[in-house]
Amino acid sequence: MKRWAKIVLPVMVLALFVLVMTSDTYLKRPRSYKDDVGLHIHNVRSAVLAEDWAQGQASLAELDQAWRLMLARLQFSVERDEIRKLTTSLARLRGALLAQDKSGALMELAEAEQHWQDLGR
Amino acid sequence: MNESLVVVVRGLMAFFTLLIMTRAFGKQQVAQLDFFEYVLGISIGSIAATLTTDLSTKAFPQWVGLATWVGAVLVLQKANVKWRAVSKYFNGEPAIVVMDGKIMEKTMRRLRYTASDLLTQLRLKDVFDLSQVAYAVLETNGQLAVLLKPEYQPVVRKDMNLVGPPEAVTVELIFNGVIVEPNLQQAGVSQEWLLQQLRGQGIQDVSEVFLATINAQKQLYIDLYKDKIADWVDIDDEPQKRVRV
Repeated sequence: MKRWAKIVLPVMVLALFVLVMTSDTYLKRPRSYKDDVGLHIHNVRSAVLAEDWAQGQASLAELDQAWRLMLARLQFSVERDEIRKLTTSLARLRGALLAQDKSGALMELAEAEQHWQDLGR
Repeated sequence: MNESLVVVVRGLMAFFTLLIMTRAFGKQQVAQLDFFEYVLGISIGSIAATLTTDLSTKAFPQWVGLATWVGAVLVLQKANVKWRAVSKYFNGEPAIVVMDGKIMEKTMRRLRYTASDLLTQLRLKDVFDLSQVAYAVLETNGQLAVLLKPEYQPVVRKDMNLVGPPEAVTVELIFNGVIVEPNLQQAGVSQEWLLQQLRGQGIQDVSEVFLATINAQKQLYIDLYKDKIADWVDIDDEPQKRVRV
């Protein structure tokens, strides 16, 4: 192997690893409506505030879908605990919407939003 | 989240990071490491293992931790090479533990090196009698260097005014059934000559040869894939498990 390749190749491999491990900030940005977690949290909150529970359920389904898409992208660069906390928050939110519990749903939404913001920090 | 997949990806990153970074450590052998370097190696390996399997934290901070430890070792190594004072401070100095056949008790106490350690290391050097020892030096890596008294040193060719044949490193001519052509030129032999030698030993094809080397006296050593051994020596406790190759 040529001398320059002996230096350049390992440096490129290490740079690639750093890129994968620090890609969360870039990958967290939404690419479309489908994977915009922040927007869907906002939509669920608007429905809960308006006590439109059917719309709330529909928005939560979209939020779940967006979170699953994000999860596939972010799993290599973020910590598992934050992922679990956000997943648990969304499960609790589903229960609160079923029970039509406005204050419970708003609390879970606030927690889910906080976990989303903390993800990758 | 597919945890197994994440572990595989993080494991590969840790593996190749360690591989790349430790290549920079140079050719120091494990036997040459002192205790601190040995512990450093274990710590670095432990961080790499954590980077692989501890998914409760982000990979990057752990990777930075790994790089920091490797970087610190590299800095220390460079400093050791460049400044003798640094090397002396971190690695210590060799200490004479036997001088003219006398054990240096004070030095040994300071080094926490026991008489039993000394005798063990002497025996490993094939020295069973302390009175034969002129000097024994405990090196910084814990190895004992021994200089025997002149009357106990083995005779060498020079003592007898004998001149031996010139020595040189053996060269591989065939490796895994393939002729290593650049080495033919280096050894000063041709491919035809090599094939002729093989045929002379009843070998019809190069692919039958696992390894062939040549020494400075142009003597060939040939090992075949199919070894023809008449009296098989077995040292296995369970002969049925032995593998004939």
